Amino acid sequence: MSEKKSILVIDDDVQLVESVTTLLESVGYRVSHAYQAEKGLKLARKTKPDLILLDVMFAGPPGPDGIELSRQFHQDPDLKGISIIILSGVRKVLDLGFEVSPDETWMPVKAFLEKPIKPDKLLAEIEKVLGPRG
Amino acid sequence: MKLQTKFNLGIIIIFAMLAVGIVAASINYVNINTIREAEDRVKIYTRAAWEIHNGKVTRIQSVLEVLAKAQLIEDLLRDPGNEQLLTAVREELEAIRREQKMDIFNLLAPDGTVILRTRFPYNKGDSLSSDPIVKQVILTQESSAGNIIFSPERLDVEGIGLLEWCLTLDREPRGMLSGAAVPVVEGGRLIGIIQMGSLLNGAIEEVDRIRDAVFENEYYKGKPVGTATIFMGDLRISTNVQDSHGRRAVGTRVSRDVAEHVLEKGLSWTGRAFVVDTWYLSQYDPIKDTDGNVIGMLYVGELEQKYLDMRTRAVALNLSVIFVGLVLAFMLSFFVIRGILGPIQKLSDATKRLSSGELTYRVEAQGKDEVGDLSASFNYMAEQLEGQRQEIERRQQELEDLSSELRAINRNYMEMLGFVSHELKNPLTSAMMSLHTVKDGYLGEVSPAQRKNLESVALSLDYFQDMIKNYLDLSRLEKGELEVNKRQISLYTQVVTPVLEGLERELQERQMVLENRIPEDLTVNADGNLLRIVYDNLLSNAIKYGREGGAVVLDAQENEGQVTLSVRNDSEGIPPEKMPLLFKKFSRLDSPEYASKKGTGLGLYICKEMVEKQGGEIWIDSEMGKWVKFSFTLPN
Repeated sequence: MSEKKSILVIDDDVQLVESVTTLLESVGYRVSHAYQAEKGLKLARKTKPDLILLDVMFAGPPGPDGIELSRQFHQDPDLKGISIIILSGVRKVLDLGFEVSPDETWMPVKAFLEKPIKPDKLLAEIEKVLGPRG
Repeated sequence: MKLQTKFNLGIIIIFAMLAVGIVAASINYVNINTIREAEDRVKIYTRAAWEIHNGKVTRIQSVLEVLAKAQLIEDLLRDPGNEQLLTAVREELEAIRREQKMDIFNLLAPDGTVILRTRFPYNKGDSLSSDPIVKQVILTQESSAGNIIFSPERLDVEGIGLLEWCLTLDREPRGMLSGAAVPVVEGGRLIGIIQMGSLLNGAIEEVDRIRDAVFENEYYKGKPVGTATIFMGDLRISTNVQDSHGRRAVGTRVSRDVAEHVLEKGLSWTGRAFVVDTWYLSQYDPIKDTDGNVIGMLYVGELEQKYLDMRTRAVALNLSVIFVGLVLAFMLSFFVIRGILGPIQKLSDATKRLSSGELTYRVEAQGKDEVGDLSASFNYMAEQLEGQRQEIERRQQELEDLSSELRAINRNYMEMLGFVSHELKNPLTSAMMSLHTVKDGYLGEVSPAQRKNLESVALSLDYFQDMIKNYLDLSRLEKGELEVNKRQISLYTQVVTPVLEGLERELQERQMVLENRIPEDLTVNADGNLLRIVYDNLLSNAIKYGREGGAVVLDAQENEGQVTLSVRNDSEGIPPEKMPLLFKKFSRLDSPEYASKKGTGLGLYICKEMVEKQGGEIWIDSEMGKWVKFSFTLPN
């Protein structure tokens, strides 16, 4: 069997990170995680995951939000190639005065998923990016 | 109509009626007076005319009475055969006749036989005993005078020119003579008669003398004021009445009415008469010969126009006095009425100001009359109204305060609701993730009993998720935070497809068939986020409440500047009386077939708000036992 695809989960909700990790590992992905944006960025530079699952808003100390973070990833030459899927509970994002959809400069991500999400849907989105698993 | 106008109109009408009455009365008065006066005057004029006429005859008689005592005449009468004497006397008498401007001057024997005529060819020897004047002298041996008619034969025998004169003048071979006869007496015995007279035919000096004496030859508007005429029968033989050519109207005749009254009945006639070409107030008196036969008429007339104009002037004067009176009375009444209506007008204005909301306005209290009472009542009413308004305003303020307090409470509540719902999302997400990971067998085989339990938890979590979504939407709506950002979007790809992706699993679970008839190239002018919420709610409902294994149909129709979108599903249907309830907040149908389904009672309320916020409307159609269809419009 080929090498497992690696996914980095960046979210401040410990329970969610755990349940997502459990799901993704159960279907054969290698999963790492970070609870803060800065840490996630560092971890990404170190481990170069195939995909990053990113929350838009973070609780805790002020820092870049998910979208800002995605832009930083995109601008970093080391990380530019890494795909990003945003997973967000922030409905506020939908109130923006334009259609929210992945965009190369403003929000350079592969997909924008809304919380709560069911395993089937999340896995399907991930497979769209990483290709069929196993 | 304003009161002032009504009063003024009333006064004008009263005065106009008065004026008409006064004018009619004054015209009548002037009529009676001027006409009566004119008739009286005409009678006086006629008497004067008779005096003038009779004076002439008397003068002839006087002249004759002097001549009757002349020696020469007595000598000739004693010796009528003395031709020499006859010639001498004839020459003498002819000279007198010419001097007196007479037409005939005859010397007769006591039996009336003509001894001498003074007019060529000096006929004699015939008898004039049938001449009424002569006959009178023979009978009474007294002087006699008057007017008589000359037959053509008499005219002819009296001498040259008389018959021709009459014929030339008026084409009537007769003449009317005014004259006298006087007896010549010697020792109480009649020895002869002298007769003298002049024809009235063409005797313009006489009528002109009458006119000049009575009317002083005045003219009025080109017409003689007074006229006089002597008629022989009904024929004008001497007159100063003029015909239409300005000539004396000799030879014309009098009207039939007058002729009948005067000539046949022998009475005087007084009144208006149309003389030749204009109206005269006139009198016609019969002229009788010495036998008492009516042989002609004496007429005197005064121009009526003078009196008509007098009457017109009198009426005009009356009218102008009345008019001035009318104007004065009108002005007086205007000021009097204004004095009365002024306060009423003020009250009326005050009422208008009051009704337009100026409750602090008051009228001046005016006296103790009815208007004063009314003003006082008005002020009292205004005070009451003002008091009531202040009370209403106070209560309104209280209500507003209360309402804004309630709004603030509601807003706080909604903010809290939004916050809580959002905070619930993360735990819900991890709970759902974990549950489904177990339930769907990612972590190993699950027994049917376990699965059944897990399914039940999943349903509760689904409901929990719906609630969070709806409460978040409601919170945004109630806080007024919802902004509508419209733009042209593709209904199919940007709205319906993403929503359907999220519902695929539920569709499959209920084995429903989706028929999407929305054209792929249809664009709508709408807010995509709001529209997705609408479709999410409508489709969720269709799946949740629709018939298991039934169809769900999406459709779109474009017409007249708007697009009508619909979601239809097979269903037991919704009775019409329940339809209006569906779009109310927290409303749920209590039908048994829906009892098992959990709902927040917010989805359709949110749909309605979001459709209306975009300028559209939403409604429901249903056929019982068959289907339910939600439709909404979007202006394009």
